[in-house]
Amino acid sequence: MSSLIAKGFPLRRWGPWIALFVVAVGVLSIATFGTLSAPTAQDRVSTISNSVKCPVCSGESVAASNAPASQEIRRQIAEQVQQGQTDEEIRSFYAAKYGQGILLTPSASGVNALVWILPIVAFAIGIAALAIVFRRWSTMPAERATDEDRELVDSALRAEADDSDIDNDPHGEGASR
Amino acid sequence: MNLALGRAGVTLGLAAAVLGVITVGYGLLRKRPDLVRLSRWYAALVFLGGFVAACAMESALITRDFTVKYVAENGSTKTPALYNFATMWGALEGSIILWALILGGYLVAVVLKFRKRLADPLVGWAVLTMLIVCVFFFGLMAGPANPFTGFSPPAGFDGPGPNPLLQNNLLMAFHPPMLYLGYVGFTVPFAFAIAALITGRVGEGWLLATRRWTLIAWGFLTVGIILGSWWSYEVLGWGGYWAWDPVENASLLPWLTGTAYLHSVLVQERRGMLRVWNISLLCATFALTILGTWITRSGVLESVHAFTTSSIGIALISFFALIVFSTVGLIGWRGDRLRSPGRIDSPLSREGAFLANNVLFAAFAFVILLGTLFPLAVEALNNDRVSVGVPYFNRMTMPIGLTLLFLMAIAPVLPWRKASAELLRHRLIWPAWIGVGSMVFSVVVGARGFIPVLAFGLGGFAAGSAGRQIALATRRQGWRGFVGRANGGMVVHLGVIIIAMAFAASSSYVRQAEFTLTPGQSAEFAGHTLVYEGQNRKQESAKIVDQVLIRIDGTGPWAPSLNKFANGNQTIGTPSVRSTFKDDVALSVIDIRDGENGSVTIRVTVQPLIIWLWIGGGVMAFGTLLAVFPGRRRNPLDAVSAPLAMEPPKEPTGVTP
Repeated sequence: MSSLIAKGFPLRRWGPWIALFVVAVGVLSIATFGTLSAPTAQDRVSTISNSVKCPVCSGESVAASNAPASQEIRRQIAEQVQQGQTDEEIRSFYAAKYGQGILLTPSASGVNALVWILPIVAFAIGIAALAIVFRRWSTMPAERATDEDRELVDSALRAEADDSDIDNDPHGEGASR
Repeated sequence: MNLALGRAGVTLGLAAAVLGVITVGYGLLRKRPDLVRLSRWYAALVFLGGFVAACAMESALITRDFTVKYVAENGSTKTPALYNFATMWGALEGSIILWALILGGYLVAVVLKFRKRLADPLVGWAVLTMLIVCVFFFGLMAGPANPFTGFSPPAGFDGPGPNPLLQNNLLMAFHPPMLYLGYVGFTVPFAFAIAALITGRVGEGWLLATRRWTLIAWGFLTVGIILGSWWSYEVLGWGGYWAWDPVENASLLPWLTGTAYLHSVLVQERRGMLRVWNISLLCATFALTILGTWITRSGVLESVHAFTTSSIGIALISFFALIVFSTVGLIGWRGDRLRSPGRIDSPLSREGAFLANNVLFAAFAFVILLGTLFPLAVEALNNDRVSVGVPYFNRMTMPIGLTLLFLMAIAPVLPWRKASAELLRHRLIWPAWIGVGSMVFSVVVGARGFIPVLAFGLGGFAAGSAGRQIALATRRQGWRGFVGRANGGMVVHLGVIIIAMAFAASSSYVRQAEFTLTPGQSAEFAGHTLVYEGQNRKQESAKIVDQVLIRIDGTGPWAPSLNKFANGNQTIGTPSVRSTFKDDVALSVIDIRDGENGSVTIRVTVQPLIIWLWIGGGVMAFGTLLAVFPGRRRNPLDAVSAPLAMEPPKEPTGVTP
């Protein structure tokens, strides 16, 4: 530590950031591990019924739909929660009764796993592509203007001075009409 | 009469569009500027056709002219006048009229704005592209989605009226037109992108010509999406405002790619880079508006097998394929010209942040598209039924959303070309403290959970950054510090942050329960007291309304209701919402039990900060207006980038000149 200070560790400059980091970690750990009231039976019913599809409507969850079938399932879920079944047990009960399509969260096995994996693969490809272009850019020699280029710019500027009513804003922000 | 007038309008529009395509196309290929300039007359005629068709339909709807089949199916003598008016966009055929009308309007606006440059091949090809799109939509009306099919009503005939859900809230009159103004508006920049590819003028000229058009279309789309979400919250009565259902996803997809474009286009304007990417984003945005229409209008979501019966589905998907293949082909053909010199020096720079933004928005759009189409793909593949719903979308988009908030905090303070850690340390310390402050505040007022509190922190951080930019700009330029693209953009950022925080809070801390109450009975829920006072029956022309009167914390009574519509035996509920800046209590009636001493079952949904979603939407719209407003002309000599290192890097000997 003393050697760090000797080397001039920029504590003065980075001090506020260190303090900020400490406070942020503290607050986030209170938020994460602090007393969170356990979900009530009602909360569990609404969580589960939000993840089960209404069997007679198109695309609505049991929670969102007011169809008699959905009302019945909501009542049933409330009973199952009362009996002490876990969320997963209740969900698999409906999956067994109506088929996997009744669950709004696709399972992570078989073909359905693709819906979870593909976005991650696509994102990884995007990041890799960015990394590759940045690497290519960083090894690319900086371009230098040649006399030919300068001449081109000069003639363009002269042309623009002659024809100033063209909606032209080569510098981008703010200079718009 | 209305029928004949409407058909005449459609025929006029179609004929003008087809003749316009032929004339302008011939003029462009044979270099006949006189012919190309005729485009303004064709544009006017196309618009006139759409206008006549829309007037005919409105007149038929308002006078309840049941000889028009669309009116017979969607109109009714009992529907109030306003909803009769709005019924034009309440079903498929009518909504195509609205689309065509708006498209004609944009076409006329383009021809007027570029009236001095009509013979310029860039403008000529753009107008030609728009005319081709017009041919498609007027063709839809002439063929598979004909709104002016005749019907001979028997004596005393009355139609069923629009879908009951569509005559229950005023927002129905505003949400679809706004959305369509956004959807259709993207045709303009798309047409210019195609024109740039065809003429080979792929430099920045076309971008500058269309950037304000893009911004306006984007603004309308934003407002349309938010009004739609508000409508769903006020009407559907399940307590939520965003269900990730295919219709909503279809509107969000072009919004996401359009937002990505609005950011990455700045890199091209400044540095001349990313040409292929920008053109692709713009074409993708337009293609997604068509794909979205296909998803929602073809019936394909019910089942892939419904696909074959709907000819409009085939038309839309073919048009989508045409757009995709022709743009990919054109980009490939112009590949050599699209290659741009230059490089991005450092990932830690404004342009680096825009690239990261684009990766994230592309990933966001990919997740939504995949989740929406996945059930279709699986069903087509092995005839299995799967559902992809709210839990999937929430889980997959949450990390993307948080990263975007983080990026929104960093990016505005980054200079072009290159930033140093020193500079970030200096510029970000106050925004970062605002972020920590909002985390502390949220924990003090009782928020718990890692994700929502992190979201509040990042939101505060991003708001601090946006606020810093606005403060600096207003200090420099006075009130003009609010206008112009960069400053207006920061106001839009503030709106997005407000929405993101409201979304995080309302989806993390939603409490929902059902209660069955007898008159006079009360219930306690999530810190609110509900007292059921009694019922009230109202007889309206189109429906019988059974209201349930409930006092919330002594205010009210609030009156959620069940509506029985005279035509058709559907009963739909209308929720009632008490909004405060802190939280919303939404009530909806599940069941009214007759004969059981007036007991009712109601659903109560308590969600914090809901009202901030709509406020945030307003801020976004306002910010877009500020961004459209011309800003200060920048002095071209002002330094805006970090200086370019003109000297070669240090020699190995360490000698610096």
